[in-house]
Amino acid sequence: MKKLFSLLLTFSFLGMGVHAQTADEIITKNIQAMGGVDKLKSIQSVVMEGKINAQGMEIPISMSMVKNTAMRTDFSVMGMNAWMIMRKDSGWTFMPFQGQTKPEAVPADMLKETQDQLDLEGELVDYKEKGSTVEYLGMDDVEGTDCHKLKLITKAGNVHYYLIDPKTFYTVRRIAKQNAGGKEVEVQVDMGNYKEVEGGFIFPFTVTSMGGPVEMTKIVVNGTVDSAKFSPGM
Amino acid sequence: MKNLCLFLLLFLQVYILPAQVKINASVFGGIEPRALGPGTMSGRITAIDGNASDSKTLYIGTAGGGVWKTTNAGASFTSVFDKYCQSIGAVAINQKKPEVVYVGTGESNMRNTVSIGNGIYKSSDAGANWVKMGLDSTEHISKILIDTTSGEKIYVAVPGPLWSDSPHRGLYKSEDGGKTWNKILYINERTGVADVCFNPQNPQILYATTWEFRRTPYSFNSGGKGSGLYKSTDGGKNWKKITAGLPQSDYGRIALSISASAPHQLIAIVEAESTGLYISRDGGEHWKSQSATMNVTARPFYFSTIVIDPKDSNRVYRPAFTLSYSDDGGYSFNEVSGDGGWVHSDHHALWIDPNHTNHMYLGTDGGVYISNDRGATFTFCANLPVGQFYHVAVDKAEPYNIYGGLQDNGSWMAPSEKPGGISNGDWKGVYWGDGFWTEPDNSDKNVCYAEYQGGNAARIDLRNLKSYSIQPQKSSKEDKLRWHWNTPLVPGKKNLYMGSQYLFQSTDQGRNWTRISPDLTTNDPAKQKQEESGGLSADNTSAENHCTIFTITESPFDDKTIYVGTDDGNLQITTNGGQSWKNVSKAIAQAGVPAQTWISSIFASSHDPQLIFATLDNHMYGDHQTYVVVSRDGGTSWKRITSPEFTGYAHKIVQDRINPSLYFLGTEMGLFVSIDGGENWFRMKNGFPEYALVRDIRIHPVTDALIIATHGRGIYVYDDIRLFRSLTPELAKQEVFLFHQKEIPLTDGKYGGASPFSGGWNAGNPESMIPIQYYLKERILDGEVKVEILDSTGHLIQNIPASKRKGINKVFWNYRIKPPKVAEGGTKLDFGGFTAPEVLPGIYIAKLTVRNKIVYDTFKMVHKDEDHYTMDDRLLQHEVSMRFYNMHESLAKCVDNLNAEQELIKKNKEKIKSKKNLAIANQYYNELENLRTTLLASKQKSIFADEKKLREQISEAYGTCVSGHQRPSNTVIASADDLSKKVEDAVQQYQQIRNTNRPKLEKAFAAEKIEISTKP
Repeated sequence: MKKLFSLLLTFSFLGMGVHAQTADEIITKNIQAMGGVDKLKSIQSVVMEGKINAQGMEIPISMSMVKNTAMRTDFSVMGMNAWMIMRKDSGWTFMPFQGQTKPEAVPADMLKETQDQLDLEGELVDYKEKGSTVEYLGMDDVEGTDCHKLKLITKAGNVHYYLIDPKTFYTVRRIAKQNAGGKEVEVQVDMGNYKEVEGGFIFPFTVTSMGGPVEMTKIVVNGTVDSAKFSPGM
Repeated sequence: MKNLCLFLLLFLQVYILPAQVKINASVFGGIEPRALGPGTMSGRITAIDGNASDSKTLYIGTAGGGVWKTTNAGASFTSVFDKYCQSIGAVAINQKKPEVVYVGTGESNMRNTVSIGNGIYKSSDAGANWVKMGLDSTEHISKILIDTTSGEKIYVAVPGPLWSDSPHRGLYKSEDGGKTWNKILYINERTGVADVCFNPQNPQILYATTWEFRRTPYSFNSGGKGSGLYKSTDGGKNWKKITAGLPQSDYGRIALSISASAPHQLIAIVEAESTGLYISRDGGEHWKSQSATMNVTARPFYFSTIVIDPKDSNRVYRPAFTLSYSDDGGYSFNEVSGDGGWVHSDHHALWIDPNHTNHMYLGTDGGVYISNDRGATFTFCANLPVGQFYHVAVDKAEPYNIYGGLQDNGSWMAPSEKPGGISNGDWKGVYWGDGFWTEPDNSDKNVCYAEYQGGNAARIDLRNLKSYSIQPQKSSKEDKLRWHWNTPLVPGKKNLYMGSQYLFQSTDQGRNWTRISPDLTTNDPAKQKQEESGGLSADNTSAENHCTIFTITESPFDDKTIYVGTDDGNLQITTNGGQSWKNVSKAIAQAGVPAQTWISSIFASSHDPQLIFATLDNHMYGDHQTYVVVSRDGGTSWKRITSPEFTGYAHKIVQDRINPSLYFLGTEMGLFVSIDGGENWFRMKNGFPEYALVRDIRIHPVTDALIIATHGRGIYVYDDIRLFRSLTPELAKQEVFLFHQKEIPLTDGKYGGASPFSGGWNAGNPESMIPIQYYLKERILDGEVKVEILDSTGHLIQNIPASKRKGINKVFWNYRIKPPKVAEGGTKLDFGGFTAPEVLPGIYIAKLTVRNKIVYDTFKMVHKDEDHYTMDDRLLQHEVSMRFYNMHESLAKCVDNLNAEQELIKKNKEKIKSKKNLAIANQYYNELENLRTTLLASKQKSIFADEKKLREQISEAYGTCVSGHQRPSNTVIASADDLSKKVEDAVQQYQQIRNTNRPKLEKAFAAEKIEISTKP
């Protein structure tokens, strides 16, 4: 009888729902879901290959990133190659389809907005040491899925929101508030199809932004990346 | 013990058994409405605050449309308050930390139709996220003031509830960012605080005005002993009542303003028996009455704003019927000119840029206006879709038209779709005044009916928009006719109905009327003293007319059966065309609805003549409950429909015309849906403002559209509610479900059009192609979701990026195969590579992969004859298109081979030592290059150049052939012949060059010991 009561008590707690979570608890679980802090910190470089599908026309895309150094994105349409290089100090783009004949420098404010992406371990890892602050904003709806919402303000003052799935603790959506040509814009990126790659690293294989989804086909972590890639040579 | 075990068993069932899928908005995921707006006639603006350090950024509070933000001085606005109460009373930015913004809900322009709020909200990130900070029961907030001199002190003026006594009125103060509040000025349960201001040079000096006011359903009172003007010199701890120089009698509402540049100067409009303008030059201690124009003193309960220019203490603005200004500190006023275009009357908010005081934003009953010349002229912001519709109606035209009347903005109509989408210019104003019922005649497409307040109805000839007054007139046998503010004007199948306290019927479009009822109201004389209404200032605009008919519904089964609801709680039914009437209000009261509760709508089921629904609204007695009742026996007995989801007093319930278990309910705070006959309900989200004031709902009688009138967010349309009809709780339990499409017409879309969007508001058009639709029980985060289209043999013809959201997903296939591979290596994009021929009619299969699960749907694509487009035309178009398609592919293959050969030479050239061998390699390379430059544009360096080679020639003809449903022209067919010959020639030429040069190259490379593949 006594046991029955204690059992009943246990069940009644089950019905009370999940206790309020703190930002740090959620970040810890998010980092665990992504393979753990050691795994994330060990990422020195990432090379991704993927494609963008526009009603059957596939545009190959590749990205190479070296931690806290530089990143390069290449894509090719009808054999015309376009690319974008972002380094700590400078950036260049080459978009021949727009009539561009030689690389052009990236404006300083755009460069500033992309710097956070060079943090390959993810800006939630050791955010305090990095000079960022995080605030838990409670649950928010992402297309019908209730997610934890975190607001991160980087040392440079950039504001990023993370929406984290309460079951898997994967990041579902990241929103960056940016200033584009004097106008406030929200750049929203959805992530899905999380998979483990060689070395035990976890990555989203579908990344969807305003321009549509990019499906990754191959992700290599800590492979060799030729530093010449990050110079604006043709 | 036995009982305990039973209890445990039940308990386990509740908590442990697999959870049922809760049907809520997320289940319907991807089904989103079109926000029709429009911006043509905007809605009432109640509050404006701008960021003083970046005056391009402003927040606009509206009467029923939430909060809108602009960061570009009004070039565009974004709604930032979609998840919360839409009635806004006050908006305030912390000017030292402009990312901190407070919003007080519950408008305080206390007209009859004013909505209510549910507290104060704060954003710490410039409107991106909001947190509720209490004051939940205040219902109306008129002003928020932030003192940033040290830290952040917030003052909130709360007039409080309009329809009931309340202890929640007064002036509130918070010193911890809104976490806790102290009430620092309180008079009594009937008196709130209307206005507050402080001396910007010493914010400890505060001024507040208290206001005694009350509405009942049939009267309004502004004024009483509680009203007054108060001053504090210690931040609100102690107050003294100021009377010196002010009227001796009772006051009503007082609007107050202090000069930022000369804070000893204050100005007030004091409602009293003789309302006047008062000026103080000694910090509010003494006041002097000034003469003022009618515009300055009129309607003080509604026009409660007076503003002093932040830099020039002599320049004073009075937003009221129109905008008046003074250049002598308020001693005399002029009215601004109308040059530059009409400015909507009835002004409630004015924000002056403190750094450039020529620049100002004015909030009116019809939207926001911007002036750059101190109010001399204004430009209208036509991009703020916050219209306050009372009702909506539709006709059966193709495409159908939408009709509706708006608060202070007349009656309008617009098509539901058209080339380029529905924009501001597509709305046609059909009648003036405040607009309410605007209804098409059910049998005459050239006629609609509209009205302005108090039953002033008209028949409109839609061919020329001429109007003819049709309001029934009193006969000698009748009492004075009592017409509601929002008089029902309702066409039946054949008849037209209007209700005062009597029901009138017309069989000839309102040319003649027959009274078919006695007084159907309670006819309580105590509720009919509207001529005494207003309080200190008479205000009798028909807004308080009571004991009137408010809603009329003709049975869809029998036009002799008519249901009538009154604003004083009667629901009357006739089944013999008005010969006798039965009042069922007692039976409704037995279901648990207070007597006298306003019948806001009656809906007669088209599935069952005995099934009747009604919504009731008791907020005018201070009761905000959602009252919905249903009768299954023709009105004899009633039962309440309730749900913990419901918020807001109820305006309209409808039952779907196809699925009798599908209901939609509109309340003052949201749209609710039930798919199980009213047992369970959920709040609509997914692109619909969650607390919208939903005043009317129509299900189109022919199409699958659901049309919603909101009182603050304009019209919303769900163009296709078929999935609401077909989705069942059983289906929602499945992990993955692919909806079956039986037949899909092969269309290339419904509309074209090339005009650039010229601003304002554009609602787009309904989807004109049928999507692939599937249901996912949860968002898929850890696996693949893929949609592929296969032909009847299982051959893959197209893959489409798939969405992964919870609930219904929609994926659009353009009904085409994949585009051809075009020749690569040119210097420009070839747009031929982006388009593909449409598939032919036949059987196709949608294949949906979700993680490891694969589901299929087999459907039929069908041809439909169009003008100049038969099946024969389609077949020819397809055949010729495929010829071009194959030319591209052949050419691409040839150029790929050619490129590979050139690449081979380039890669190895440096290793060649002998001049002779180098010459062989160069010869081969150059011959290939000569050919290549004829095959695709290779020289063009500018996007403005137009280099056309074989690839581009094919694309031009291909593009002409493949786009749009039409038979290929003779010239297209001729060019197919010509170009296919050229492609054949090109391939041959390549082969010849290769045959001649390749053996020589291989020999040369062999001599140089360069290893290459010798495969062809």
